[in-house]
Amino acid sequence: MRPANPAVSAAAPARARRRLSVQHLVIAFPVLSLIFAGIGAALGETFYLRLATEALILAGLAISVDILLGYTGLLSLGQALYFGLGAYTAAFLLGQGAVGFWGALLASLALATPVALLAGLVAIRSKGVYFILITFGLAQVAAKTVYNTRELGGSDGLVGVPVLQADFGLFQVDLGSPVAFFLLMLALIMGLYVGLNYLMHTPFGRTLVAIRSNEHRVRFLGFDPWRYKLAAYVVAANVAALCGALYPMLRGFVSPELLYFKMSADAVITVILGGVGTLIGPIYGSVALVGLRTVLGSWTEHYHMIIGALFMLAVIFMPRGFAGLFDRDEGEPAQDGGERT
Amino acid sequence: MTEAIEYLQFVLAPQMLNGLTIGVAVVLVALGLSIIFGLLDVVNMAHGEFYALGAFISMSLYSLGVSFWLALVLVPLIVMPIGFLIERGLIQRVYQQDQRHVLTLLLTVGLSIIMEDAFDLIYGPNTMRPENPLPGSTELLGVIVPNYRLFLLAVGVATIVATWLLIYRTRLGAMIRAAAFDKHMTASLGVPVLRVYAGTFAFGVALAGFAGVLLAPIYSVFPTMGHDFVLLAFTAVIVGGIGSFYGAVLAGLLLAQIQAISSLYISPHWSDPLLFAIMVAVLVVRPQGLFNWMGRS
Repeated sequence: MRPANPAVSAAAPARARRRLSVQHLVIAFPVLSLIFAGIGAALGETFYLRLATEALILAGLAISVDILLGYTGLLSLGQALYFGLGAYTAAFLLGQGAVGFWGALLASLALATPVALLAGLVAIRSKGVYFILITFGLAQVAAKTVYNTRELGGSDGLVGVPVLQADFGLFQVDLGSPVAFFLLMLALIMGLYVGLNYLMHTPFGRTLVAIRSNEHRVRFLGFDPWRYKLAAYVVAANVAALCGALYPMLRGFVSPELLYFKMSADAVITVILGGVGTLIGPIYGSVALVGLRTVLGSWTEHYHMIIGALFMLAVIFMPRGFAGLFDRDEGEPAQDGGERT
Repeated sequence: MTEAIEYLQFVLAPQMLNGLTIGVAVVLVALGLSIIFGLLDVVNMAHGEFYALGAFISMSLYSLGVSFWLALVLVPLIVMPIGFLIERGLIQRVYQQDQRHVLTLLLTVGLSIIMEDAFDLIYGPNTMRPENPLPGSTELLGVIVPNYRLFLLAVGVATIVATWLLIYRTRLGAMIRAAAFDKHMTASLGVPVLRVYAGTFAFGVALAGFAGVLLAPIYSVFPTMGHDFVLLAFTAVIVGGIGSFYGAVLAGLLLAQIQAISSLYISPHWSDPLLFAIMVAVLVVRPQGLFNWMGRS
């Protein structure tokens, strides 16, 4: 569970070596993705390109979990709440024809921020297990409420989201084209990665990491951990809502399943398998998990069991995930020398 | 005046009795959760699946020709070793790490995913309903009560009392409480602490399995049956104070009562948000829970 943690890494040469290997992962991802997009475009592929786009959208949800778990030390079991919030906001407004591409994204962020502020106020006040259970309960209650609200389509969800043109001023992206949507999503997710990675190296991000390691000391140093946690919670919620808003643009519909515990749990599984506290790990994890689910799903509909078993094995034997394999110098996490009681 | 009495007799009293039976069942599930958290510091996210496991095992036993009464005894005895092995084989592996709250919780999340899918694989996604072993109803003080609910009430209360006796009045219970209080000291006194941990986990999930058998004739059996119920149980545990025996009992009864009575006035769709709002309000005002006077360190 010790993430790659540049802030507390001691030896400078070791850090350079370690950074290099994680950086390889960061560079490899867009390169491999572009090759994949090129092949897909050449073959006129649709299914796998759309699936890969979905994997990138879900990667955003996983990154949102990673901001909380990997950098702030808060496990959210209800991050699907914000993903669903973004998805429903976008689907509702787009279905009415009220907004375009940018309007839908802005509206979901504008709604996610106050909701996250309010929920965060309550959830972060409560420590440890209580935080986890509140985020879990909040998402469950929201999912049930959406399921029972006829205006939001009830159990059927909202359908009939139109195919959009995203206007970037200089050029337009036709979201109906699988390659174009994939490239847009790739740019967005890499942009999110770069931006958040930068944020986590600012004094703000370092403080979050410090809170994760030892909240008491942070308080003695004169920082108010509560504010930083709330800020991290709101940032994470916005990341989830932004990616959620893109979901109906890809699939053309939303359903209450987007808010279910399965979505939140899948995001956590993605982060653990990919590598917690790395931001790039969850992106790989998402691609791997969506790929695995598709492959296994073609054999059996009971693939959840296999994914659940893999997840448990990862928690026990490889808690630092796939990206953790690339952090050589922190392979042995520092032990506290016995546990505290 | 007569209208008020009739309202009481035909509307309010049966609903409150319903709430009481559900409340007793919720307490059985919540007690297991609370005991497991109080001793092991483990939030068992798979608790609802153990509740379902009990119900499914009882269905298998019925199809083998076992009677309801025997199943009621056998199911906890079957669930208990399963819980014991899971605790020893999986959960105990991550105890020693400093983030064990998160790790054990993640493990049980994985476990719940596997169990739910396994139910679906073995028993299929369809809803099953065992036969009601006690059909008919009795009139009590002018209120008509189904016999089975009366039975459930009696067995539930007896189980809760027995659990209390076990934990607070036996040598085994003293070992459990000692291990929760200071495990190093307890271990040095010769108590096999790790086995006590596994045993407590097994006991907690067996309680959930027992509740599964008891409630199957009322709520029927399907793979996701644990979801709704465990949320109510979690709410009861939090409102009552995590790790508090009395808290889980009182809060479970209270919340089920609130749910039952509120459903007379508002759509049942809103009872979950209502209970959740109560839980949040309690957490804001008394983070240690309503009934947790002693307060755990």
